[in-house]
Amino acid sequence: MDEPKTTGIQRSSTRTKRVRKKKKSQLPYGIAILLLAVIFGILLGTKNSGMPIFWITGLAFGYILQRSRFCFTASMRDPFLTGSTSVTRAVLTAFAITTIGFAAIKYGAFVKGLPIPGQSYVVPISFATAAGAFMFGVGMVIAGGCASGTLMRVGEGFTMQILSLFFFIIGSLWGAHDFGWWKLNVILKGKAVFLPDVFGWIGAVLIQLLIIALLWIAADKWEHREKLVKN
Amino acid sequence: MDIKKNKYYKLWLKDAWPYITGAVLLSLFQIVTLATTGNPWGVSGVLATWGAWMYEAVGGSVDKWYYFASEGAQKSLEGGLINHGGSIRNIGIIIGALIATLLSSGFKIKKLKSWKQVVAAVLGGLLMGYGARIGFGCNIGALFSGIASLSLSGWVYAVFLFLGAIFGSKLLVKYFM
Amino acid sequence: MKEVELDCNGEACPIPLVKAENKLKEMEIGDVLIVQIDHSCAMKNVPEWARKEGHNVEIEEIDDGEWEIIIEKVK
Repeated sequence: MDEPKTTGIQRSSTRTKRVRKKKKSQLPYGIAILLLAVIFGILLGTKNSGMPIFWITGLAFGYILQRSRFCFTASMRDPFLTGSTSVTRAVLTAFAITTIGFAAIKYGAFVKGLPIPGQSYVVPISFATAAGAFMFGVGMVIAGGCASGTLMRVGEGFTMQILSLFFFIIGSLWGAHDFGWWKLNVILKGKAVFLPDVFGWIGAVLIQLLIIALLWIAADKWEHREKLVKN
Repeated sequence: MDIKKNKYYKLWLKDAWPYITGAVLLSLFQIVTLATTGNPWGVSGVLATWGAWMYEAVGGSVDKWYYFASEGAQKSLEGGLINHGGSIRNIGIIIGALIATLLSSGFKIKKLKSWKQVVAAVLGGLLMGYGARIGFGCNIGALFSGIASLSLSGWVYAVFLFLGAIFGSKLLVKYFM
Repeated sequence: MKEVELDCNGEACPIPLVKAENKLKEMEIGDVLIVQIDHSCAMKNVPEWARKEGHNVEIEEIDDGEWEIIIEKVK
């Protein structure tokens, strides 16, 4: 897709073209850090055998996020700010795939009579959910990155995100401090809803996938709406 | 052989991947995370723990806080960074992104450019941190993992996250551009 | 046929895209806008937007982590 066009865009000859500095490739540094990361992983395993999986998945997430320029912030912000929904649709696709994978793992445990793993994010819905999500939405757009995006950009060398991360930590501590108040006065009034409890396992998965599909269509139409108007 | 022209170098190390590739691979590792650690991926909860450690380092104590009162939370705090999976994973994300940037020769330190950026980073960071605690998570935990976990809370979070992003965009254009 | 340079180095996303959009509106058909960026998101979302609008786009990597996005206004 990014093959250079043979005709090329005409540039004025009076403009001095920026000469690409003959810098060394950073590839050797990348390989060095990668090797150090592997060594760190091995050493980590000797201290606590449960840790290497976290290190590996972390490295993988970081690599994938950076390589694909994946930004949840963009998925929420761009439909409004630039009219683009390409990241939004990618995020929806991720929701669909993980819905199936997670449901499979959870149902597998359920059917064996085992406790369902990974229910830590099935949480009470209350005003705190709305307020927290809204605050997060505002914050991530202003700060130029969400939680994963901030970590990714620290690794890319953005000093703004190092600052953002620091205050993310402070804000988290502040939130943890106030959490007791929120729990008592707001969150306890809410209820957690695990969709399979309401629609059954298959029903819940199908309904969720259907909603994701409808959102995908809406996002797709939004992306192309100007073309429709012009025609 | 010029490595820069090598097909596999370009494909895996150099060129940006399509968003959909990212979506599929992130989903894969999300599922791996649930299967291997028993919990879905989360990022912001770890940062509250980092905050507690920093606070303790300057003489503070969070032991009387409701948020850190549970046995699990106390154990995490006492165990330290090297035994805290979530911390290791967050650091892994930073290093993974660093490796990706270096392998594609794209690393450059981008210094802060203006006071607007400082205010934006401070305000944005605080909002994200506080919002993630009372909302039970961030874009990864509450949104991505919440929805994947078939929890209605994930969808409610999504709606208000979207509204917040719209409001944030208006603020961005008005005050931070 | 004018050539305009837009220095967006050091800007957080989505600022390069918004600035590029606004600048291009002021320009004439046939003009060329050169957006200088060092943000990895922008090297994807600016060309994507410009191509969607129907303009000719070229991306040039000019240094480690620095790109020039060359947009020729077509309509």
